[in-house]
Amino acid sequence: MTDSPLDPKSEASAGLMQYSPENLVPFGPVHPSLKEPEYFKLYLEGEKIVQVVPRIGYVHRGIERAAQDRTWVQNIYLFERICGICSFAHSMAYTQTAERLTAFEVPRRARYIRLIIAELERIHSHLLWLGLVGYWTGFDTLFMWVWKDREHILDLFETITGNRVHKSFITISGVRNDLPENIIEPLKKEMKYLTGRVDYYSDLVSTEETLVARTRGVGRIDQDVARRLCPVGPLLRCTGIARDIRKEDPYAAYDELVPDVKTSNQGDIASLLLLRLEEIRESCRLVTDAIEKIPAGNVKLAVPRVIPAGDSVGHIEAPRGELFYFVRSAGGMKPERVKIRTCTMANILTATEMLKGHTLADVPVVLTGMDPCFGCMDRIAVVDVAKGKEWSVRGEELRLHGINWYKPGRQT
Amino acid sequence: MEPERVSRLTTALEATATQQRNSTLLAVKPERIIEACKMVVEDREFYHLTTITAIDEGQVISLFYHFWRGTEFLTVKTAVPKSDPRLQSVTEALPAALFYEAEIADLLGVVFVGSPMTGRKLLLPDNYPTDAPSPLRKESNPAQIRKMMGLD
Repeated sequence: MTDSPLDPKSEASAGLMQYSPENLVPFGPVHPSLKEPEYFKLYLEGEKIVQVVPRIGYVHRGIERAAQDRTWVQNIYLFERICGICSFAHSMAYTQTAERLTAFEVPRRARYIRLIIAELERIHSHLLWLGLVGYWTGFDTLFMWVWKDREHILDLFETITGNRVHKSFITISGVRNDLPENIIEPLKKEMKYLTGRVDYYSDLVSTEETLVARTRGVGRIDQDVARRLCPVGPLLRCTGIARDIRKEDPYAAYDELVPDVKTSNQGDIASLLLLRLEEIRESCRLVTDAIEKIPAGNVKLAVPRVIPAGDSVGHIEAPRGELFYFVRSAGGMKPERVKIRTCTMANILTATEMLKGHTLADVPVVLTGMDPCFGCMDRIAVVDVAKGKEWSVRGEELRLHGINWYKPGRQT
Repeated sequence: MEPERVSRLTTALEATATQQRNSTLLAVKPERIIEACKMVVEDREFYHLTTITAIDEGQVISLFYHFWRGTEFLTVKTAVPKSDPRLQSVTEALPAALFYEAEIADLLGVVFVGSPMTGRKLLLPDNYPTDAPSPLRKESNPAQIRKMMGLD
């Protein structure tokens, strides 16, 4: 792109970098910090963000409506496709909420298997996120390392469920298949390996100077904001509120294998890094415990085609936080209404608060900090109010802008 | 939920309460919704608004405000007639409701009086036809809406 505002030499750039009284920087719908469309209107005073107005819906696929035309079992595979990262969390939340309307008890073995897959998914989601933070701060080595470690988890998914992304493994009344033979030792070995890597990464993210400079004190939120705006998951826990649905409303086998809820009280991206790493460590422990204590028995009952009439609310702790489902059945083959509240929908208001007071260069890191998933919930154009100009910025350009902004010796 | 708390809420709000598992359903009149939400969050125990669910039930649109407190759900239910779907916005008492209300306004056409999002779309495309029914209403027909938007 020739006349790019983020190329320091371009004419347009001069307008953006000058401190004009009010600049609107429309941020989206091609999203800079994820390969998903989302639109934020950023109001700037100079480089400082003073107001953020999000607009979502660019990947709204009408899944709630589509669910009304599909059977109970078909919907498991539909909801799985809401998100490619926490696909199992979505299918599990839906399945559990529907199961609450029935009278049967899910077999214990199936509950343990659900826990194992859910925790593996948390590890993979957190690792993916950690890699992205590395990427957006210009620390590509971290990105490569972490995503290589993430492959171990994807391989485990493939061994256990047959699929790497959309596991299609859960079903109403249990899970579709039993664990493969001889999985115990490889699983334990991988968990041990990952725990070792977490030790290394924890040390790295708290000592590596560039990463610390880009994350410490950035995207700060406090408990008061958290109580007002009701975020979920690590974003809530990093303000010191120990809220975890696995512990508060145990499902799967969390009543027997109780997770230790990790919190931090710094409320910035640096503390989110350490918090999520601690959560990976805890998940490794849970998987190891579960595979040792897993009871024998069936993994499913006869899958019902009809769910008794009634309303049911259910939620689980997905990697990004509380994932909520409301299911209404009229007693037929299809649900009457399914309402989904994803974690990003709950976190987005808080993210807009986190952005305020920071520079444009911090936007990718702060937005990545909340681990956004707009595919779950739902480009960059730049307008210089003073000059009446408008242009587009690609995510890659913004990434480089962020990296250049923090280079030592930059002229301000 | 503790019986005293339930009875305090039902008396003050002229509401009816039903309990099931770990969740309590409190049905209130639409004009008392702000008061109900304020009462629920005022002691800071039910401060976590999980979400708002809206359902088209034929004659009325039912709204469920789900609150979570540690180990239990409290759901405040109300209903507005489909012919005049207007309800007071609760964003002043509960800032977290902002986008949940906007989502319902888009998908079910409920007008939230006093919401800062009034007149702004959150989910639907800007060119969604104004004369088409909201997409999650029973009478809406996706094929027809596609045609109206010139997508087919």
